[in-house]
Amino acid sequence: MSKGKIVSIHSFRGGTGKSNTTANLAAQVALAGKRVGVVDTDIQSPGIHVLFGLDENKMGKTLNDFLHGKCAIREVAFNVGEKAADAEGRSKLAGQNLWLFPSSIRGREISQIIREGYDVNRLNEGFQTVLKELDLDYLFIDTHPGLNEETLLSIAISDVLIIILRPDNQDFQGTAVTVDIARSLDVPNLILMVNKAVPKYDFNDIQKQIEDSFKAPVAGVLPLSFDLADNASQDLFSLRYPDHDWSKALRGVADVILNVK
Amino acid sequence: MSDETIIPQLKKSFLFRGLPNEVLIELGRKAARRQLAQDAVLMRKGDVGDSLFMIIRGWFKIVAEGANGSELVINQSGPGETIGEMALLDRAPRSATVIASSDAEVLELKQDAFYEILDQRPDLALELIRSVSSRLRFSTTYIQKAIEWSQKISAGDYSLIENSLTLSRAEGTDEDKASQLLSAFFQMVRNVKDREDQLKKQVEKLTLQIDEARRKQEFEEITSTDFYADLKEQARKLRAQRAAQQNEK
Repeated sequence: MSKGKIVSIHSFRGGTGKSNTTANLAAQVALAGKRVGVVDTDIQSPGIHVLFGLDENKMGKTLNDFLHGKCAIREVAFNVGEKAADAEGRSKLAGQNLWLFPSSIRGREISQIIREGYDVNRLNEGFQTVLKELDLDYLFIDTHPGLNEETLLSIAISDVLIIILRPDNQDFQGTAVTVDIARSLDVPNLILMVNKAVPKYDFNDIQKQIEDSFKAPVAGVLPLSFDLADNASQDLFSLRYPDHDWSKALRGVADVILNVK
Repeated sequence: MSDETIIPQLKKSFLFRGLPNEVLIELGRKAARRQLAQDAVLMRKGDVGDSLFMIIRGWFKIVAEGANGSELVINQSGPGETIGEMALLDRAPRSATVIASSDAEVLELKQDAFYEILDQRPDLALELIRSVSSRLRFSTTYIQKAIEWSQKISAGDYSLIENSLTLSRAEGTDEDKASQLLSAFFQMVRNVKDREDQLKKQVEKLTLQIDEARRKQEFEEITSTDFYADLKEQARKLRAQRAAQQNEK
């Protein structure tokens, strides 16, 4: 078994900016010189590959192939540091140790895995294997929203669980359940992150309310940003616009991850 | 000062702008040249005014008395500018004190000399009335605007700053002073609006609530399955293995 940490990124509902946040956090941690893997376990609606410049043409073996026993997990790895210099932000990752494990974006393969299911234990084995074989410091897991079996597995085996929520009552309610589950599964480090906060609100007050309610640290309150929406997942925003408020707050969250013992 | 150079000097004053050149030359000849040392008082507030001054060289400060008796500089005037025009017409007490802030030279035109010219050319009176009237109209327009804006601002309508024009006028003219007033006014409105926005931001707090009964019910639904019990056990083992491995190192 490896020294590396499993960092699961979760949100109870979709649309919180989870994939975008995961990709940017992984990139920041890789830029800090760490060896980083990112697994897209959002098998039903994969999306993080786009942020790393991987499209259908470039995509080789996928997590689906591994889960169906068609290949080894190592074969799924897409080396971002070698192959993703096609955009201004991503090009800063050149030479860094960052691997993406994408899910298939082919409709037939997605429907197959939803219909037939897969052994979540094999997913766990995959995580443990890449941690060891690639000597990773961090393995980021981009989870499917909600609390289905593979998401519960990701939470259960996490060293760090980051729950992303928007400051609204539906997210607040769902996050409460996820926090309870994480505590029930003895996740050692539970961190909250607020995304898409409307700037008219007092961010310190939002942070305090959430920390008081959940008794867990809020690593950052990131603003709702038209600039980020305008980037339309074409590039890693925090690398391309490092001075933007969103990017600064995101680096704060990356620092919290790097400081987890 | 020669006859030719006095003409542009006098034309800078709103009062003389419309007068024919031969009259301006005549006015120039009747004006007396005066030298002032730094700190010399040109006029004192409350004195009966009976002459105007055209600044040839040097600077003057227009001062009022502050609340605690201190000197408060309300404006500065320099070469080319005219001070105290209205005294030629109305002999009212001076409204402020004027002190030379450097060594200076002025041309002084006395009311008597001015009246002599008017006696010879009564037709000029009409031109002077036009000048005074146009200045009055100019001031009134801005006062009316200021009243209108003040009413809007007190009603919380700040839309005027979006339509504000950047006015740039020749320095020292009436229009320049009016545009200075305008930009000060717009700046004030912007500051008030910024402070108000800041306050709104502080006031808008989000109230987040959790339905505790629903939270408990959903938690139980998830954790009551065999899958969950198995997962919890697996996770426990995995963590124990890791901890053991950490201890070995």
